[in-house]
Amino acid sequence: MLDKSKGLSKAREIYQNRSHRVKELKAEGKKIIGYPCMYVPLEIITALGLVSYRTYGDIAEPVTEADKALPTAFCPIMRTCLDCALKAKDDFLDGMVAIHSCDPQDKTTRVWQSYISYPYFHLIDMPGTLRTQSLEYFKGQLNDFKKTLESFAGKELPSDKLKAAIELHNRQRALVRELYKLTKPDPPLISGTEMLQVIKALMSLPAAEGNELLTQVISEVKERKDGPEKKPARLLIWSSTLDNIDIMQLFEAGANVVMDESCGGIRAYRADVKLTDDPLDGLSDYYLKEITCARTFREAVFGEARKDYIADLDSRFGYLKDFIRGWNINGAILFLVRYCDPFAFEMPSLKDYLDHLGIPNTYIEYDYTQGSLAPLRTRVEAFLETID
Amino acid sequence: MYFAGVDIGSTMTKTVLMDTNNKVVSAIKGPTGPEHRQLANEVMKMALEQANLQLDDISYIVATGYGRLNVPFADRQITELTCHARGVLSLFPDVRTAIDIGGQDAKCMKINSGKLVNFVMNDKCAAGTGRFLEILAATLGIKLEDLGDISLKSTKKVQISNFCTIFAQQEVVSRLSEGEKLEDIIAGLHDALASRVAGLARRLKIEPDVVLTGGVAKNAGIVKAMKENLGCELLIPEDPLLTGALGAAILAKERFSKATAKGEPIPTKPRRLEKATFFTKETS
Amino acid sequence: MTTEQKKRAINRLNSMHPLRAKVNESYLKSVEAMQAGKPTVWGMLNYYYGDPILKAMDVEVVYPENYGAALAAAGVAQSYLDRADADGFPTHLCGYSRASIGYTSRMMKELNGEIPPEAPLGGMPRPIFLMASTAVCDARYKWFQALGRYMDAPVWTFEAPLPGVKELFMEGSYERMVDLGVKHARDFVAFVERMLGKKLDWDKLSETVDLMIEISQVWHETNELRKVKPSPMHSRDFWSSMPPALFLMGDLKDSLQCYQDMYDEVKDRVDNHIGAIAEEKYRLFFAELPPWHSLGFFDRLAERGWNFVIESFGYHPPIPLDMSGVSDPLERLTRFSLQIYVGYYKDAFEKNVPAGGMAYPYLKYAREWKCDGGFLHPLISCRSASTHLPYVSNILMERLKVPSLTIEGDIVDLRLFDPEDALSKAEPFEETMEHYRQIRRQEGFDW
Repeated sequence: MLDKSKGLSKAREIYQNRSHRVKELKAEGKKIIGYPCMYVPLEIITALGLVSYRTYGDIAEPVTEADKALPTAFCPIMRTCLDCALKAKDDFLDGMVAIHSCDPQDKTTRVWQSYISYPYFHLIDMPGTLRTQSLEYFKGQLNDFKKTLESFAGKELPSDKLKAAIELHNRQRALVRELYKLTKPDPPLISGTEMLQVIKALMSLPAAEGNELLTQVISEVKERKDGPEKKPARLLIWSSTLDNIDIMQLFEAGANVVMDESCGGIRAYRADVKLTDDPLDGLSDYYLKEITCARTFREAVFGEARKDYIADLDSRFGYLKDFIRGWNINGAILFLVRYCDPFAFEMPSLKDYLDHLGIPNTYIEYDYTQGSLAPLRTRVEAFLETID
Repeated sequence: MYFAGVDIGSTMTKTVLMDTNNKVVSAIKGPTGPEHRQLANEVMKMALEQANLQLDDISYIVATGYGRLNVPFADRQITELTCHARGVLSLFPDVRTAIDIGGQDAKCMKINSGKLVNFVMNDKCAAGTGRFLEILAATLGIKLEDLGDISLKSTKKVQISNFCTIFAQQEVVSRLSEGEKLEDIIAGLHDALASRVAGLARRLKIEPDVVLTGGVAKNAGIVKAMKENLGCELLIPEDPLLTGALGAAILAKERFSKATAKGEPIPTKPRRLEKATFFTKETS
Repeated sequence: MTTEQKKRAINRLNSMHPLRAKVNESYLKSVEAMQAGKPTVWGMLNYYYGDPILKAMDVEVVYPENYGAALAAAGVAQSYLDRADADGFPTHLCGYSRASIGYTSRMMKELNGEIPPEAPLGGMPRPIFLMASTAVCDARYKWFQALGRYMDAPVWTFEAPLPGVKELFMEGSYERMVDLGVKHARDFVAFVERMLGKKLDWDKLSETVDLMIEISQVWHETNELRKVKPSPMHSRDFWSSMPPALFLMGDLKDSLQCYQDMYDEVKDRVDNHIGAIAEEKYRLFFAELPPWHSLGFFDRLAERGWNFVIESFGYHPPIPLDMSGVSDPLERLTRFSLQIYVGYYKDAFEKNVPAGGMAYPYLKYAREWKCDGGFLHPLISCRSASTHLPYVSNILMERLKVPSLTIEGDIVDLRLFDPEDALSKAEPFEETMEHYRQIRRQEGFDW
């Protein structure tokens, strides 16, 4: 019997009705803080006893309200986020934390703040490179965020509490990585679709509850006899963010998605925050360096006078090689959201790297609406036919 | 033994029946229309009649094209990209680049070692598809099939600067009222379409032999404009509309043969000609 | 209308000519220098940061962005755009970046690093390094990183921090921005010294920075003079005259003199109530990047009485800043560079406009330069110059009852801007402007 109170069924349930738990918690007096981007350090929110909640709009909702503030030729993810906010779909939020990870987020959240006065709002600035001074600056920004959130929460955040939150979130990261190990077998024990539902569930629950869910899912998946069917293609999906099962199901109609390198997949869980004396050091280091979004300027050797292209590619994308080898991946889909500049510029270089590794790959563009699912299906199917 | 390929495009539906020697025993083309779900079995009936066959005589059926999911009697769906590539390869064994300009889309396919290896598609915008010419022909009050010959009379191409089909219509009317000759305007339109498609093709690095297919390939003006824009020679099949269905039929045979050789079971759909519905999932 | 009358539609400043000539002179000198083998760096408009350092080191800086505009204006951008497309770069990306990627691809893959013979205006030579910046938009530093696919030239990326409006005023926040700027400017100096094999002359840097600040001050004051009715200087003169200040072109002492001459001429017009157009009926601001290839369009609007009195805040000098206690040239440079956006923050904070950097300046412009309307020009492939425009339109109407007219265009696909279409919208917009003038009067505004 399907027990919706735990494991994969619970994850599915939460995916379909994401705000259920936070609304319950809000009724109990908890404060809910929304965030649109995985660069926001959730540890700080958790440590102050607040509940974090990821917003990512709704591909099934046609964008109408956001047109008054944003042009149509603009990141569709931010457009839908703003649209949903203007339509009061997430009016249970007590606050919003945004971060200058990319232009669309920076610009949209400023406009967002103009139209919706949350009791709490903070915009974290983020540098573009990994230099020492940039890291220092980012640490200062995180400290400022901590200060305003302390003010909102009405209490100070002592260092040991923050360290405990870091350990809690690191535990979540480790559990996600453990779950991803279960996609290594052929066929994988858990599908990309189920994985997506689990990750989205994590982004809708307090961290401790998320960890509990993960533990259930891991033991359920290890024992299961009804796992995904074996398919000839084992795919890596590379994207900015992939938050919708309609899309994932399209990929999985003819393949097993064994690794999702996006902010709806492993990206925010791939590495751990180092435990440092001053926890803000560990946090600023982790968030700036370890989240592999295309927006960060990475290079092989700083200011090197002669560049080795392959060495540079390897320093930027080497972690993907580990996934490809470890998970026996035989195809990659570079899944780009239209108007996303960082990923669009990054893509040809990544293509070069994948070609160098001998992994068949294709680039598919998507505008984050329901309408473009049919052309997407054709492209995915055709790609799978080429690697058949 | 016979094999079938059914290609349901956005504008035309095509069916090819083939025997074990890869000989085409019948080929039917008809306009798809809005009710293509009802159409697949009609076209199949006509093809069977033409070849004097029954549906049970067909060992394997592959459906392709935009409406491929709406062929309930098809044993398998394969995308039009793979099917076109296969069809073109059977007609021109040295093809490396295949370009298909359909009614509502344009596809470029890279072929190597006997199969499709890469592709790009435009199915978001009318400019660069057959629809572009259809609309402009209507604007000019000319029959679509006459466009090509008229354009060949042109001595001076009129540059159409609007890349959007809707605005191109307005531009064409202005040019006419300015006294530009009809054949020059049409040559300009052909050039506009060809440059869009060539831009798409260049993403795949154009290598000879280059083959052009699709209804639009019957238009001599387009063929000329494509050659100019691509800067190379073009090969065109006798019937440029059939390569998708042909490829589907060939793939049907290949799949069937491969499975038979391995002694594997070959799942097929019940041999009944029915209209597609939204509801039933076949349990075979 | 006779040619005579047409020519006089906008009363151009005499002092504009030497500044405009400087652009061409500078450019030609640059081409000569590069042909003589002087090291070249590819840079981008980045609100100074690294440019004064390069100038003090006597390096030729080439701006692929500007070259993109030149390619577009010469009508030859298409082949480079097609190459970028063929090389796998999605077509929604910035037209300038795609044009320069296509150019670089051609130069490196087909010509072994030699300037393409078909490239107009002397082309762009292969650089020894690329100086990028996170200022203005994401595309820019990612674009320069993408050029690394073709060239063996390192990319140095300057950080251009951009905090939230209220967040700037948190304790120590601004000082940390300055600290970041100074430290990596120092790293940049070390890097350039290594690349060029020579040391920076710090006195020369100091002088360069000081001249840059002085030029900016004079230029700022000149633009303040445009607030009066009738406005003495049209946007066309601004756009023609701004490059020497923005790109530190040529001899800076000479530039300073030119800008001082301009100030004098504008002051003189103010004292004598001379306007930039014959009959100023409407005062407009323009956002953001003008249609460089179609500037004659403004003359036609001038014939209708449209005076463009202020524009493109991104091209304007920063609001002057007191740096009397700051002697380190790198710190002066950093504070000056940050000031482009930060200069507006205090006001934006007090007036509660969170979209401080990008939209607030137009509120200030509309109010202080007493504008009847805004002419908004979104560019389809330049999102950074376009995304704030719907918001600007709304907030101007909401807070100041100033209407806006939106006419689209693009930076490289110049066909997108249709002057005839834009002119046909001018007449009805005049009625809109007149209507809102009444509304403003009723609501107690003073213009």
